[in-house]
Amino acid sequence: MKTSERRVTGFTLTEILVVCAVSATFLATAIMLFTNFRQGYSRSENVAVLMQESALFLARLRTDLNNAVLSGPSADFLRQIQAAPDQLSFNVYSSRHGRIQPVVYNYAALPDGGRLSRREANEGERVLIKDHVASLTWQVQLERFATPGSGTFRIGLAIDLQLKASLGKEKPFAIKTTIFPARLNRQLNSR
Amino acid sequence: MNRSHRTGLSLIEIVLSMGILSLIMLPVFMTFSSGNINIQVTESEFRAHTAALELMEQIISLPFKLIKAGEYDSGQIIEGRSFAGSPVIFRVSDNPDLKPALKIEEIKRENKVVFKKITVTIAYPSARASDRMRDFTLKTLVANEDI
Repeated sequence: MKTSERRVTGFTLTEILVVCAVSATFLATAIMLFTNFRQGYSRSENVAVLMQESALFLARLRTDLNNAVLSGPSADFLRQIQAAPDQLSFNVYSSRHGRIQPVVYNYAALPDGGRLSRREANEGERVLIKDHVASLTWQVQLERFATPGSGTFRIGLAIDLQLKASLGKEKPFAIKTTIFPARLNRQLNSR
Repeated sequence: MNRSHRTGLSLIEIVLSMGILSLIMLPVFMTFSSGNINIQVTESEFRAHTAALELMEQIISLPFKLIKAGEYDSGQIIEGRSFAGSPVIFRVSDNPDLKPALKIEEIKRENKVVFKKITVTIAYPSARASDRMRDFTLKTLVANEDI
């Protein structure tokens, strides 16, 4: 048998090297793309969770403030909403119980993320946001406008809330707004 | 060397298969990307919704006679600016991306104003740093309690 008739069935070294280089480039690009997309998605997912928590808290507080009613001694009628750095309280009309009862929001600032909870009358305290509150301020704004007659009052509660993810290094989700309790304001101005 | 008997894949075949694989993977990556965009849109909508409620509530908190009919745009709805030339002022939380607008119409019956229709529209960017604007609209009626 002559050696020139031998059949060659494998790849040449050059072909293998070229294929390896192309595969490596392709894989590196795919992994990089996937990692970038995954990080972006994870960041957005964190934002979505924080946004949902802040939306639920603001909706709960807005509902309570819309049910807030004038109560207490008439001399103290402008102090319907009591706000301290760690506590917010006011009276609401509960249609379920058919009476006026207090609602209290508590904010506990903790090093690893603050906790926000709500309590109505003698019911148990319910946690609204756990370990995600980076900072929270609530401030009662009482305005008196010099309109004809005895003037017009308007009470608002300015909220500045920042939430952060438990483990993420991303910047906190921040929202600022003022809630105006319409029913309470109407009662104040029709006294 | 007789190449017709080789059984391995050629370079062209491998490159083509990688091209097909990339085309298949592309929609997977696009899914992540569109998910991110949707979350950004939801965040913009939430901010617009919060701003709309803030503007609506401060108007309906006023006595009926102080809710003056008219149209007010983002140039007039500014923190501390007078509302309809009255002593009442607008309160607007700082959010430069949002463009608020307010329309108040009187609804009359037998020559008396029985309702005021309040329409708040907030124009907001559809995504972060985007020029495309969307609108969020909130409407309500305030009844005249004096009649």
